[in-house]
Amino acid sequence: MSGKRTNPSQTARFAQERLFLRFTLRQRWEHAILLLSGLVLLLTGLPQKYREFSLSQDLLSTPDRVNLIRQIHHIAAIILALEVVYHIVRIIVLLVRRKLPGDLLPTWQDVRDAGQMLRYLLFLRKDKPKFGRYNFEQKVTYWFVFFSIAIMGISGFIIWFPVQFTQFLPGGVVPASKLAHSTESMVLAIFIIIWHVYHVHIERMNLSMFTGRVSEDEMREFHAKEYDRLVAGETSSSAQTGEEK
Amino acid sequence: MKRLRTVLFVTGLVICIVSFGFAFSEASAGPGQRVEAAVQSFAPSQVEDSVCLACHNKDGFSVKLDSGETLSLTINTDAYKQSTHGSNDVTCVTCHSDIDGFPHPKRTTETLRDVKLKYYTSCQQCHAKQFTQTLDSVHQKSLAAGNKNAAVCADCHNPHTQKKIIDDLGTLLPYARLQIPETCAKCHSAIYYTYKESVHGKALTEGNPDVPTCIDCHGVHNIQDPTTATFRNSTPYLCAKCHTNDALMYKYGLSTQVLNTYVADFHGTTVVLFDKTFPDQPTNKPVCTDCHGFHDVARVDDPKKGLSVRENLLARCQKCHPDATANFPDSWLSHYIPSPDKYPMVYYINLFYKFFIPAVLIPMLILVVMDFGRMMINRFRKPKPVEVKKHPVKTKKSKPADEESRHD
Repeated sequence: MSGKRTNPSQTARFAQERLFLRFTLRQRWEHAILLLSGLVLLLTGLPQKYREFSLSQDLLSTPDRVNLIRQIHHIAAIILALEVVYHIVRIIVLLVRRKLPGDLLPTWQDVRDAGQMLRYLLFLRKDKPKFGRYNFEQKVTYWFVFFSIAIMGISGFIIWFPVQFTQFLPGGVVPASKLAHSTESMVLAIFIIIWHVYHVHIERMNLSMFTGRVSEDEMREFHAKEYDRLVAGETSSSAQTGEEK
Repeated sequence: MKRLRTVLFVTGLVICIVSFGFAFSEASAGPGQRVEAAVQSFAPSQVEDSVCLACHNKDGFSVKLDSGETLSLTINTDAYKQSTHGSNDVTCVTCHSDIDGFPHPKRTTETLRDVKLKYYTSCQQCHAKQFTQTLDSVHQKSLAAGNKNAAVCADCHNPHTQKKIIDDLGTLLPYARLQIPETCAKCHSAIYYTYKESVHGKALTEGNPDVPTCIDCHGVHNIQDPTTATFRNSTPYLCAKCHTNDALMYKYGLSTQVLNTYVADFHGTTVVLFDKTFPDQPTNKPVCTDCHGFHDVARVDDPKKGLSVRENLLARCQKCHPDATANFPDSWLSHYIPSPDKYPMVYYINLFYKFFIPAVLIPMLILVVMDFGRMMINRFRKPKPVEVKKHPVKTKKSKPADEESRHD
C-alpha cells in the first residue's frame, strides 16, 4: 500500500512503549476491503474453475446456484474494483499535491537488499540487511498483488461482458482473458499463501495492517533505516515533536 | 339245442353291431371333417402353414371391416418363405393364435389399425427383450395416451416380409442400416427429407453405412422423447460416440477433440456439469445441436449452414447473444486447441504461465523455506546471549544490541 509516510508528529507514544504509526486508518480499511473481497472472489471462483470436484458440482448443480455464485463473485468484483479506483485516485491526488512518498517504488537498493538477504540465508552474512520503511519483500508483495489485480480485473470484466468488449477488441481476447483470469487467480492465491502469509504470520506475527502500529523494537529490527531517519528527524526538530498522542 | 341257438344269436348280434360300427365310423370320416378334427384336437402352432395358405394365398382375398376399410387377407407365399420368420419355420398360428379353427371366430375389431394393435403383443413370445424395450419408448407412451397411430412392432417390421437384419453376433447388417431412415419416414417424413439433405443423410443415401441413421441417436426399441432436457443435456455424449472415435474420424479427416474442447469452453463446462448432477434440468447453454443442427447437420464448410463460414457462425451466436458483432464469434475457440496458428493469444498466455509459475513461485517458496530454516537455526543458537544477560541493561536503548546479538 502506498500512502503517507509516517510523520513524526503522528507517532504514538505511550508511557512505557513507544509505538510508531505504520498504516493510516484509510490504508487499513483499504487492506480490509481488499482482503475480504479477495477472499470472497477466491471462494466463489474456485468452484467455477475446478468443476471436477464434487463440492464444486454441489455448489453449481443448478442454473440458480450457478447464477447465485456468479452474482456473489460479481458483487465482490465491483467492491474490489471500487477499492482499486479509490486507491489509484488517491495516488493521483497525492501525486498532484506532491505528497506521494514513493516508499513503495522499487529501487536498486532493493536488488542489493535482496542479494544481501540471500547471502544471509546462505550463511554468508551474519545480519539481515537494514531496511527502510518497506523492505524488498513487502514491495514485492505490493506490486505482485497490484499487477495480479490489474490482470484479473481487466480480464474479469472482459469475460463478464464479452459482447460489449468484442465490439472494439478482437474476439480472441475473450478466451485469452478467461485463461489469464483463472490462471492468474491461482498464481496470486499461491503467492499470498507462501509469501505474504509466511512473512506476516510465521516469520513474525505482524498485525500492523490491522492495528496500524508497530513497536519501537520492531521498528529497530525490521525497519532500521526508517527508524534512524525518524529518530534523526525527531532530534533535529525536537521543538516540533511536542505533539504526542 | 335251445341254449346253443341263443349263444350263436348273441355272438352274431355282437359281430354285426361291431362290424357295423366299424363300417359306419370309416364311412363318416370325410376329408373336410378330418381337418376340423385335427384343428380342434391339436395345439394351434402345430397347424401347418399350408393349411392357412390354402385359402390365404389367393389374390384379392379380403374382408370388409365395420369401418368400411378393406383388410387384405392375402399372404405372398414366396415373400413369406424368404422372410426371417418363414425361413425359420415360424408358423401363421404362432402369432395368429386367436384363430383356433374353421370357420374363424368373428372379428371384433372395427378398423385396420385395430387389427394391427390387436396383434403386436404376440411378438413378445419370441422377442421378449425388444418388446420390453418398446414398453419404455416414446411410441408406447403415446399409444398409452390414446394415440392409436403410435408405432408398434409391425409398423416398422412387417412380420410377413421382414428379412434378417442382424448377423449372428447381433450387429445390424449394413444393408439394413441403409433402410432405417425410410422405415422411420413412413411416419416422420418431413424429418426424413431434412435428414436426406444433411451431411449424414447424403452419405447414407450414397451407401455409406458409417454415418448415423435415426436409431444411432434416438435408439431402436426404447426410443426416448428427444424434446426433454435430459435428452438435450446428454447430446454432447451422443455425438461424441462417433466424433471421438479415432478410426472413424480419421477416415474423414475430422477432429476427435470436439468433446473435450467443448467441455473445456464456456458452454460445455456447465452443460456437462448439469448432466452429471441433475440431468433433467433445462439449461440455456448450447449443446452440439444448437449450433450444428441435428437432422439438418451440415459440413462445417457448407456455404449455407457450415459454421466455418463466419457469417453463419455469427448468425448462430446471435441466436443467444443478440448484440454480438463481427468479432464476437472468435470468443469461441471453435473446438480448436490453441496453437501459434489458431488463437495465438491464448496459446502464448498459456505458455507464459507455464514458465512464469515455476520461475517465480518456486524461487519464492525456496526463499521462504530458507528464511524459516535460518530463523530456526538462530533460535537454537540462542544460548550465546545468555552471557550478555548476566549484566542486564534495563534501559531500552540497550535492547537493539541484545536483538542484534541474537543473529550472531
